[in-house]
Amino acid sequence: MSEKLQTLIIEDEELARNLLRSYLKDNPDIEVIGECENGFDGVKSINEKKPDLVFLDIQMPKITGFEMIELLDYKPQIIFTTAYDQYALKAFELNAIDYLLKPFSKDRLLAAIDKVKHRIQNEEPIDEKLEELSNFRPGEEFIDRVVVKDRHKIHIITVDQIRYIESLDDYVMIYTYDGRHMKQRTMKYFETNLDPKNFIRIHRSYIVQVENIAEIQQYEKESYIVILKDKDKTKLKVSKTGYKRIKEVLHF
Amino acid sequence: MKHPLTNNYKLLLYYSLFWGIIATINIILQVLWYNVPITYSLLDSGSNYILYPLLGSSIWYSIRYNSLEEVSVGRLILFHFIAASILCGIWVYISYAIYQPFIYDDNKFLKDGLPSKIFVGYVMYIIYLVFFYAVNYYQSLKEKIKKEVEYKALIREAELQALKSQINPHFLFNSLNSISSLTVSDPERAQEMVINLSNFMRYSLMHNEKEMVSFSRELDNIKLYLSIEKVRFGKKLNAEFEIDAHCMEAEIPNMILQPLFENAIKYGVYETTEQVTIKTSCECDGNALKISIVNDYDASTIKRRGEGIGLRNIRKRMEIIYNQPDLIKITDHKTSFEVQLVIPQKQAVS
Repeated sequence: MSEKLQTLIIEDEELARNLLRSYLKDNPDIEVIGECENGFDGVKSINEKKPDLVFLDIQMPKITGFEMIELLDYKPQIIFTTAYDQYALKAFELNAIDYLLKPFSKDRLLAAIDKVKHRIQNEEPIDEKLEELSNFRPGEEFIDRVVVKDRHKIHIITVDQIRYIESLDDYVMIYTYDGRHMKQRTMKYFETNLDPKNFIRIHRSYIVQVENIAEIQQYEKESYIVILKDKDKTKLKVSKTGYKRIKEVLHF
Repeated sequence: MKHPLTNNYKLLLYYSLFWGIIATINIILQVLWYNVPITYSLLDSGSNYILYPLLGSSIWYSIRYNSLEEVSVGRLILFHFIAASILCGIWVYISYAIYQPFIYDDNKFLKDGLPSKIFVGYVMYIIYLVFFYAVNYYQSLKEKIKKEVEYKALIREAELQALKSQINPHFLFNSLNSISSLTVSDPERAQEMVINLSNFMRYSLMHNEKEMVSFSRELDNIKLYLSIEKVRFGKKLNAEFEIDAHCMEAEIPNMILQPLFENAIKYGVYETTEQVTIKTSCECDGNALKISIVNDYDASTIKRRGEGIGLRNIRKRMEIIYNQPDLIKITDHKTSFEVQLVIPQKQAVS
């Protein structure tokens, strides 16, 4: 390869960054163009600098490495670094994405870089694999937050902030108590990953937080709407199965 | 199970005494009231109250191997009928063999008593049966209770074992990664960290042997733990202690504090980019040591979901050790999180 890989290190621990830097120092294929200490800076840096390769720590403050991927406009090659092996296992299953289990040796790092070079040469696509990976959550049953990015800012929405979610083709609109945010995710994702005790899929297009339901009204024969607890008294359609689900959760 | 009579000499004594008294009363009654000749009376009582009790003690074996729960009623009745007949046969045969030299043609007392003797034999069998079943039931109940107590002790021990904090592998691997980095940049600090990590690990492994340690010992271990984490997190982790010197001798279950600090780091330090202070304070009055651990956290990124497995385990462990609920109290102050522990003391600490 003629040109060096433009490489970014995203890692919250200083000592871990030092080690990576020292491993990469004399590498003829790598040029480190930046380092970030957290996920927020990481997203910004990747979108601005468009590196070829990113070393990405999974467990970081504010947002995790996986959550970062959801927010990227530009997707570089990624080598994950982590001490959590359940993440690594999943990454390994996907086979396209390499990972380094902390602590790792310099040889292991070089092998991972070789794989990346190989993928770049063969122009193997990475987007799909990354998306699949970001859907994976080890251990925890339900998500407790969603990360979204508006034009310039990253927001972390804890699930108790979500009033309801509306489907918009390939996107969803998440309505919170202080605004709304667009996110590229399926309704199915939220349906399976939000706690069904608190969130009900009342319609093909809506998932509602139970807490936020003010009343349920009969609209026509066998057709219902819910009215939400906000000042606009938002009305949402309820499907037949949706009505059944509401009945099950609220026990009436 | 052994035969209750041979196994328990006291019971054997009571058994002999019981039949002895019955036999004596019988002889006195027969001789003085009914004017039965003393020889006959002795023979009769000997047969009923000495020979039968001797033979009858073997009925134990017939109930021992025919448990009421395992054998059907029909089979049980058939079995005991056959056993009773055999026993009766032997008893009557031996009795009459002994009577033989004393029976004269005009004697009706022994000779004509045969049908009633056989009847008495069966009735006695039934009485023995009830008696031995009762003994058997009582014995197995006693054994069960004894075993239950043993099991409970075993379960308690196993539970305590399981509830004790296990070192989080994530902590271990991240620490090793820090050490790996320090070997390149600062070998001396790397060495120091290896030693700290070893001491911490040793303490956490040792705790299987001894349940209680002094508060100062546990606190030293926490400081060791925090010094290791401080190498990873640097300025982000700030630990403050406000400890009364006279609390140091209080007793505390070992490794009970470490999970609390691990939580404080996981939710406080890990989730934010700012500096997080973990403040530990304690006080002790006459019969309890009260420890409070407070850490800041960033409410915008995480929703605390109440009690995780770490806190639940500590709560359970405290409950088992002190047999007292509510020794741990958790308060969410929205920007900080507080855990309060009450450790009862056997001896007043002053």
